[in-house]
Amino acid sequence: MNAKLLALPLIVLGLAAAQPALAHGNTRPQHGGVVLMAGETVFELVTKAGAVALYVTDDDEPVKATDMSGDMTISAGGKTQLVPLKPADGNRFDAPGATIPANARVAVQVKDKATQTSLGTTFTLN
Amino acid sequence: MRRFKPAALIALATALSAGPAGAHAIWYAEHARQLALIYGVGADDLDSVKRLPGFEGIAAYDANYQPIGAKLRVAGPLVVVDTDQRPTLVTGSLQNGIWSRLKGEEFEKKTREEMPNAFYSEKTVKYTVAIRGPLDKPIPALPGQVLQIIPVGAIPEKMGAPMTYKVIYNGKPLGGVPVINDLVNDPDATPVKTAADGTVTLPVRNQGLNVLEAVFKAPTDDAKKYDEVELSATLSFVLPHLPE
Repeated sequence: MNAKLLALPLIVLGLAAAQPALAHGNTRPQHGGVVLMAGETVFELVTKAGAVALYVTDDDEPVKATDMSGDMTISAGGKTQLVPLKPADGNRFDAPGATIPANARVAVQVKDKATQTSLGTTFTLN
Repeated sequence: MRRFKPAALIALATALSAGPAGAHAIWYAEHARQLALIYGVGADDLDSVKRLPGFEGIAAYDANYQPIGAKLRVAGPLVVVDTDQRPTLVTGSLQNGIWSRLKGEEFEKKTREEMPNAFYSEKTVKYTVAIRGPLDKPIPALPGQVLQIIPVGAIPEKMGAPMTYKVIYNGKPLGGVPVINDLVNDPDATPVKTAADGTVTLPVRNQGLNVLEAVFKAPTDDAKKYDEVELSATLSFVLPHLPE
């Protein structure tokens, strides 16, 4: 077999191996929001028609919102707004009354009521 | 007899004056996604549960450095911190007791009163600050952090980039303090001393957890019991990795 022909698939294989592996979990927005991944937990922050919601997926499995408590801390312009997260359907948490201004930091944390383990991250919004 | 060149002697003296490698310290690190308070040095992750009574000053702060609720909880062999909200900073300290030693001997957990012929006695206190969220403004001198390492400027995104820190003691810059750049992975590295304005610039060591330590021997406040107060301060932060 021609050595050059043999080398070609090896080069292609080598390039493929050099690529970073894909994330364990879907990091594409599923609800039109902004996605952040922390460890193996995916957080999607959604603001639609004045409503703010958070979706949490852990290790590609939806986190059952009713098993959790949580809150959202919105910081902008030196001011802080603390909003409790209300468990909703599936892995959705609603943030009633939350308003997110431009250039805000949005820190979110959800906590398992049974184990007290927490998951969280901080969004930087422009 | 072997003779040392002056330059070699100066280098040796400088190395010795930089003090010992990193002392035992406390710092925060994630374990099973929870923020644990670690006592140790290098890869030694020692028993923090038995030291629980000595931990104090556990606090957390939001992005505007306003305090939020924080408390320690024992979780198996670990001590983890629970915060009321997602914090930007988490702090803590440890009163680690009084230690004395005879000349040429190891330290024992005794005061000078209990070991009258001690060569040296010290009280040891450990402080730590963990950065857990993006910073919008400089970190101030935080309550209870007598010795503190503060980042100067933005934290780089990539390891290897230079990063400037300032060491403060009772809120004021402190020069001549040895700083270890990577207490966890390179604890025996020769420390680098802060300049007169308290600053030191070092390359960020890890695309992951970074733990720096500064050690300062403060004057005693109880000469009957100890000669000095050894203060250790750590600063920890994480550079995120690429998507897995």
